[in-house]
Amino acid sequence: MTTDAATAQPSPLLAGKNRGFIDRFGDRALYIITLLAALLSVAVVLGLAYKIVDEAAPAMSKFGLGFLTTSNFDPVHGEFGAAQFIYGTAVSSFGALLLATPISVAIALFLTELAPRSSRTAIGTLVELLAGIPSVILGLWGIIVLGPVLNDTIEPALHSVLGWIPLFGGTYSLVGLFPAILILTIMTVPIVSSLTREIFATVPPTDKEGALALGATRWEMIKTVVLPYSRPGIIGAVILGLGRAVGEAIAVTQVIGNTAGIHSNIFLPADTLASKIANTYQGADPSTTIPALAYFAVILFVLSLIFNSVARLLVRRVQSRAGRAG
Amino acid sequence: MISRKSILAVACCGVLALGVAACGSSSSSSTSGGSSGTANTPLTGAGSTLIAPLMSKWQSDYSSRTGNTVTYGAIGSGGGIEQITAGTVDFGASDAPLTPDQQKAAADVLMIPWALSSTDPVYNINGVSDGLRLDGPTLANIFLGNITAWNDPAIAKLNPGVTLPSTKITPVYRSDGSGDTYILTDYLSKVSSEWKSKVGVGTEVKFPTGVGGKGNDGVSAVLSKTDGAIAYVGAAYAASNGFNQVAVENAAGKFLQPTLGTISAAAAAVKTIPSNNAVSLTDPPKSATNAYPLASYTYVLAPSTSDKADSLKEFITYAIGPGQSFGPSLLFAKLPSQITSADKATIAKIGG
Repeated sequence: MTTDAATAQPSPLLAGKNRGFIDRFGDRALYIITLLAALLSVAVVLGLAYKIVDEAAPAMSKFGLGFLTTSNFDPVHGEFGAAQFIYGTAVSSFGALLLATPISVAIALFLTELAPRSSRTAIGTLVELLAGIPSVILGLWGIIVLGPVLNDTIEPALHSVLGWIPLFGGTYSLVGLFPAILILTIMTVPIVSSLTREIFATVPPTDKEGALALGATRWEMIKTVVLPYSRPGIIGAVILGLGRAVGEAIAVTQVIGNTAGIHSNIFLPADTLASKIANTYQGADPSTTIPALAYFAVILFVLSLIFNSVARLLVRRVQSRAGRAG
Repeated sequence: MISRKSILAVACCGVLALGVAACGSSSSSSTSGGSSGTANTPLTGAGSTLIAPLMSKWQSDYSSRTGNTVTYGAIGSGGGIEQITAGTVDFGASDAPLTPDQQKAAADVLMIPWALSSTDPVYNINGVSDGLRLDGPTLANIFLGNITAWNDPAIAKLNPGVTLPSTKITPVYRSDGSGDTYILTDYLSKVSSEWKSKVGVGTEVKFPTGVGGKGNDGVSAVLSKTDGAIAYVGAAYAASNGFNQVAVENAAGKFLQPTLGTISAAAAAVKTIPSNNAVSLTDPPKSATNAYPLASYTYVLAPSTSDKADSLKEFITYAIGPGQSFGPSLLFAKLPSQITSADKATIAKIGG
């Protein structure tokens, strides 16, 4: 039998004259206060969306949907197009996700299944500390430390081994998509790994014990019970991490080179939507450049809406399965 | 077991202590000092990052002289123009003069040149020491991407006796809006018609080639780690960071680096000041033999009507007068007399 707290009726013995004024109307007041808080956040989101679309309206009517396919950013002549920035955002975010997902899943598996119990909290805390590093610091570290290492050592090595793939072309640079991908990976791993840990924790112990009892090795148990069960949740966590990567502006703008152009070589400099907005917004011409930047913001907003909705749907699937099984 | 009462007592003591400390510090920050009727009218300003080092010297000196505090936010020339147009600050600061459109939007804003500095092309080439010679058209071609290697004949012709490596040229530019970009593009537009039509002038332009860095720091980080890079930074920044500076050829045929003398010579070459005080010092005429080609004034943008008019007038008069003494150590040359008199006439127009 389940008791649903939201719909439980207070006992008749406690109602009416047996209760003071505050107790009688407290529930109603609580409802109103929490409703106001929720409405406030909804109002902020709607207000933000309205303001961004309003700012972007001149650019949207001037450039239309062709904005998404042309590549240009010329404040002097008033010509703008988002294609190269969308490309930069897409490659840097998906690249980061490709690297972050296996690392995060591995960290989560280690912490929930394989690590000695006493060390789990310590290691988990250290991983989550990564999320606390300010993005400016990561960006500075990226350009001062990571960039030269990539330019001198890693990029030539990748090119000599995998140079037949156009992604790893022959020109090296200390700023570009590759350092941006690595920095974004560092920023996404803490989020995805902590979410994945939560999801792994919802796997019913009975299933896991059953697999072990039937003679499965630790790896077989993980492969046949934990991973398939958590798959929608992991995808949800990954998509949330993607949302983070797409919106990251400061760290990316310091290491990506802020350069126009769409190239297949990820070692070359590029630019992303968020990074361009962060760089250019202050002091941009309000009549021509700012509407174009607001149009970028609209694109980012829509992307983030999509990612968040898909992620919620998937994570909810895992939770409802946990509810049914338990 | 700590009781709730003792926690409460400790918390109250803490709040009291903080309050006393705050009162104590605020009373010590109100400085003593002679002041006329403008005492304690704090001014807020925002804008150019080029003037920021000089501004911080002005802020402390001015506050000890008059007791007035000036708060300044170095958010970039464009930001300064935006804020003074919106009226959210008492004065703005910009390296670029207002364009006709901007002046229309900020109809009551006056431009007053209050410091004189320059932008400096700097480079990092393995094996090449300080003082590489370049002329305007070659500089333009480098930033346009027409010249791609350091041993190009155009560069070699200007530098006989210097062994130039075949390293690729990487132009580095400011990815954020910048007064330094304005000065450079203003100069390049005058010496290269291709630059003028293809790229144009502005605090933010579409550079045809190269890599961007955010702020002077971002640019210098890329510059110092990239062999073959050429960039442009404010003169004070270049000097204090020890970069190799280009010797730019001026119209008289001399190759010069920015020094107080060459910057002043560029300012002295402009004798007639237009009514709105917008003066371009880049590419000075042939008669200014010792003039550095990439000098520029930086302007304070003051509203002609303001309820802080007296305070504003006092501060700006200070800046173009006693304040100039802080300039030379930061590579800001002293304002020439024709500008100071034009400035004083404009300051008189600021009314309540």
